[in-house]
Amino acid sequence: MTVHQVTSVTDRPGAAYAGRAQATGRPRISMTARRHRAFYLFTSPWILGFLLLTVTPMAYALWLSFTTFDGISPNWRYVGLGNYRELLSDPVTWDALGRAGLFAVTSVPLSIVAGLALAVLVNRPLTARGLFRTLLYLPAVVPPVGAGIAFKLLFDQNSGAANGVLTFFGIDAVGWLADPYARYVLLMAVLWGAGNVMIISLAGLQDVPRELHEAARIDGASAWRAFRSITVPLLSPVLLFQTVTGMIASVQTIMPLLLAPLGDTSGITTIPQSNYLYMMHVFAQYFALGRYGYASALLWVLFVLILIATGLIFKCASGAVFYNVDPEAKK
Amino acid sequence: MTATSLPPTSSPDVRVRVRVRRLTLYTVLVSVAGLFLGPFGWLVLSGLKTQGELAASPVHWLPDVFQWHNFARAFTEIDFLGYARNSLIIALVYATLVTLSSAWVGFGFARLDAPGKKVLFGVLLGSMMLPQMVTLLPTYLIFAKLGMVDTYWPWVLWGLSAAPYLVFLFRQFFAGMPRELEEAAIVDGCGYASIFWRIFLPQSWPVLSASFIIAFTWTWGDYIAPQLLLSTDRTTLAVAVMTAYVNEGGTPVLELQAAASVMYVVPILLIFLVAQRGFVAGMSTSGLK
Repeated sequence: MTVHQVTSVTDRPGAAYAGRAQATGRPRISMTARRHRAFYLFTSPWILGFLLLTVTPMAYALWLSFTTFDGISPNWRYVGLGNYRELLSDPVTWDALGRAGLFAVTSVPLSIVAGLALAVLVNRPLTARGLFRTLLYLPAVVPPVGAGIAFKLLFDQNSGAANGVLTFFGIDAVGWLADPYARYVLLMAVLWGAGNVMIISLAGLQDVPRELHEAARIDGASAWRAFRSITVPLLSPVLLFQTVTGMIASVQTIMPLLLAPLGDTSGITTIPQSNYLYMMHVFAQYFALGRYGYASALLWVLFVLILIATGLIFKCASGAVFYNVDPEAKK
Repeated sequence: MTATSLPPTSSPDVRVRVRVRRLTLYTVLVSVAGLFLGPFGWLVLSGLKTQGELAASPVHWLPDVFQWHNFARAFTEIDFLGYARNSLIIALVYATLVTLSSAWVGFGFARLDAPGKKVLFGVLLGSMMLPQMVTLLPTYLIFAKLGMVDTYWPWVLWGLSAAPYLVFLFRQFFAGMPRELEEAAIVDGCGYASIFWRIFLPQSWPVLSASFIIAFTWTWGDYIAPQLLLSTDRTTLAVAVMTAYVNEGGTPVLELQAAASVMYVVPILLIFLVAQRGFVAGMSTSGLK
């Protein structure tokens, strides 16, 4: 190549310039192609992983949901919408779904309000502010298994601290981990991790321009009014994100299982009724009964419901959420 | 904001009010912090009690004698170190692989273009909202069919295929780096792989460590995947702590379980405390943009 170029330069002086132009011209075309190829080379691990480990299992579950597959009996068969029909007529499914919905609409707003309140508290000038932030966030780092065991001990009917406090005030001890109180323990165990919302809201609070609050103060607005009219709108994208991810997390929580007397999958049968959320119903069908076909139908129903709920949340929020974006940056 | 912002001539009345407000604020903060530490403190206390004290009614607030040997027994009663090793292997393998693969994919989304990129990025963001539990259960059936149950291959595969959340983290970081960096390298005849490896990766230590720690704590804390995919002796510490401390009758031995969960949780708390800044930065970026 180099040899050829050298001879061509000596043979035809004018060709040297043309050759150079071609040399820069040709890579420019292939540069774009190279970038395209490189893009797919770089993103391929995720694309492949998404197809093999997300789309395939989902498609497999969709297919199974039309069958009576149980992993053992060889003569499972296609039943069309049979599983879905059974699911709709099963009151246990509806109850579990209702409980999961109730849990989502209580636990998500409560943790957002709690997290936001904590964020506002530790955003003030305080002594040992870093220490308070760390202490309040720390429970959010505790793995679910640790949280489950801690709450089981805390709310133990005999030796738990909760009943200790109640008896101290002369109130009768309560069977916290059984019906109907178990739902409150579940709620508290989830709220224990509100530091997560706190940290994310705190980052948002720090982005709120100081001048806005100062202007509001000069105009005579109360602290609450300033919070409602300045802080909340500016934080609304963060709050929307928290609502959606919180809702999805709450539907999937395995905390009811971890709070059950036996924490392994065989413990599903020991979950008190009030904590028997939809996901636990899926687990029961999957593991206790091995009804993979029926459980897959339950999963797909849940998946579609989550999609609908996410869409609704976004739609309802579209007017309420304020994006403080620089119009210049918008393309 | 409070005392300092007052004019020097402020009346004693105002000063008292400020002081009362400050006192209330700290009282609220200290009690909330106490409430938040309570469950963990109770876990530690329970690990130091005798079986009798843990069954006593009404509650036995403090152990008569601190039963430190519960912690030693938690080690020997089950193969604690073996389970901890399993957890460590899985978490290290997954965190390393997923950090590298997510950085790799993140570089693609931040620095390269191709037709279809917008759609793919939308799918990536959307897939962050996919309920993982919905995919995990059928994934388990597929892995069972492929004979990968009771091996660590699932974590290798999950690690290799990048995590959307971490991809997004890396994408945000790489997108903010100056364009001249790669242009100079392209002029020098560098391929994109070596631009990524030699120029971008060495500059991204903050994100690399945040991603590694986040992935490590996920895996260390994960309960359901190892519970489904691994048998009793290959399983992780999370599963062992939850299920293995039982007597012959199948009832949990609470004092050992409490002691074991303290030892299971504390490493994660330590990692968090040491790496706090990067960790929090990573957590909050995800919520904002």
